[in-house]
Amino acid sequence: MIEPLLPIKTDTLYTLSKICWESSNWKQALDVVCSEIRPYFIFDNLAVFLYNESHSDLEVAYARATGRGKTKEADVAWGESVIQEAIEKNQMILSEPIEDKSDRLQRPHILALPLLVKKAGLGVVTIIRFGTPAFTKDHIKFAEFMASQISSMILRQERESMINQLQEHIQTLQIQDDFISTLSHELKNPIGFIKGYTTTLLRQDTSWSESDQNEFLQIIDQETDRLKDLIDNLLDSSHLQSGNTTLNMQLLRIDALLKDVISHARVHHPNIQINLDIRQELPTLQGDPRRLKQVFDNLVSNADKYALGKPLLFRVYKESHGITVDVKDSGPGIPTKDLDKVFERFYRSEAQSQDTRGSGLGLFICKKIIEAHQGQINATSIPGKGTTIHVFLPFNDI
Amino acid sequence: MTKGTKILVVDDEKLYRHLLEINLGTEGYEVITATNGEECLDLVSKKHPDLVILDVMMPKLDGFSTLERIRQFSEVPVIMLTGKNEERDRVKGLDAGADDYVAKPFSATELIARVRSVLRRSQSTETSKAIRFFEHGDLKIDLARAEIWREESPIYLSATEYKLLIQFAHNVGKVLAAEELLSAIWGPQYRQDKEILWVSIARLRQKIEKDPHNPIHIVTRSGLGYLMPPNDSSN
Repeated sequence: MIEPLLPIKTDTLYTLSKICWESSNWKQALDVVCSEIRPYFIFDNLAVFLYNESHSDLEVAYARATGRGKTKEADVAWGESVIQEAIEKNQMILSEPIEDKSDRLQRPHILALPLLVKKAGLGVVTIIRFGTPAFTKDHIKFAEFMASQISSMILRQERESMINQLQEHIQTLQIQDDFISTLSHELKNPIGFIKGYTTTLLRQDTSWSESDQNEFLQIIDQETDRLKDLIDNLLDSSHLQSGNTTLNMQLLRIDALLKDVISHARVHHPNIQINLDIRQELPTLQGDPRRLKQVFDNLVSNADKYALGKPLLFRVYKESHGITVDVKDSGPGIPTKDLDKVFERFYRSEAQSQDTRGSGLGLFICKKIIEAHQGQINATSIPGKGTTIHVFLPFNDI
Repeated sequence: MTKGTKILVVDDEKLYRHLLEINLGTEGYEVITATNGEECLDLVSKKHPDLVILDVMMPKLDGFSTLERIRQFSEVPVIMLTGKNEERDRVKGLDAGADDYVAKPFSATELIARVRSVLRRSQSTETSKAIRFFEHGDLKIDLARAEIWREESPIYLSATEYKLLIQFAHNVGKVLAAEELLSAIWGPQYRQDKEILWVSIARLRQKIEKDPHNPIHIVTRSGLGYLMPPNDSSN
């Protein structure tokens, strides 16, 4: 014999709706609700059906069998027979058993309630009792109350996840937007200098000394180079991004390549002292010498930008599957939260000094080149002490 | 006219400062430079330049905000210098009180011509005066830095409260109607929203008045509006 159900009081409703509005997971909330309501409202089976993404069909999203003979009942009925009717009529449907069969399982009382938010259908919840007791008026009202709670929970969570998606999307757009604004600034500055100093030289109302003229021409020359580098980097990064770059692979000696990079740096970055630390005999490996040089040139130029005047160390060692080159500077370091991001296209650290010029493309290009060699590149840093870029190049033929 | 004319050049890029310095130098102008908005405000109040050439795209305090602060205390002519040549930005600059606008990249001769023209206009009206500090009884405002003190201790105001106070400071002795204040600070669509003004005035008085119930800085004129009384009668 089933114990008589207690009447549902305001307190109960309050407790249940509190569970619902405080939850960030409607299925978990429903689990709690299902056990909380037992003294007032019982059911054997409960199922929530929601529309799929195209809103063309209903899919079961949640189902619980709590009845006396769970497995048997679970096999029998989830209210499929009345779901369609509830949807079509857009109202609660109560289906009572007609024949007085002796088998309890043949006598389901089914409540199907549409889940609605402002008249838009989200789905249906069905509540089934096999045999007794029949749904009373109060029980039906309570079921409607729960259906509205479930609807608003689902809606809220859908909105939350939509907001999260939008926020991610906005962030992506923001990064691109920042890039475009940085880039246009970086492109316009050299153009502005070239225009400004050229028109200065062209002024007819004044004459400049030879040393002034020389200075202006040097500025124009430097800024032209900068513009060219920037455009090269930009094209390069877009080629690498789309995977349209072919490597010119050949056998090379990494130590010879690094020595080349260092002598090149002595000319182009005279302020930076570079030490090379190679402790063992290094085997040759397959690689594109021009591209690998580009990587290390880029790392030197970064160190020159961010670790002004501080020495730079190249430490090279052999590992079982390849060669690692650590490029260690003693600059201000990179904040831990930015470490993973520095290799992303367009990324520039917020902490970066305002005076440093960069397009946010250098490390992205490095990463793409190393990855094309099946290698790895990552960064470690101690703020205030310096940054190390680890480059790993494998032996295997590509 | 160029002898003794002082021009302040504000740009975060060294090569632009140099470019302007050499070109304006040949014209006989005295050129001083600043690399950011804060420095610019300091030099405007200390060196009283006859013209400011102000870059828009600067880190921290950008050109528009710098100009807004300059206009709190000085009528010095300002030419905005910027990479953006969009109408929206030109309007924004002119609205903020810029006298002219030169888009980067520019030619040296064009810039010199603009400088000459703005200076010619300003010298005929002769308006450049710089009063940086405003005092009213125990209250002192540094208009360049947007800082306020009462009896030497700093007072922290919200942006709206500050704007409200500045309206009074610029109109000492004049009754300002609620609609006028609402429209100036919140915008014309708020003209009728008197309650937000009441609340803001009450909050402002809490902060600036020694006795908010007997205000001396912002006085109510029933049915008319509010007034900051002339200095001699405050107290």
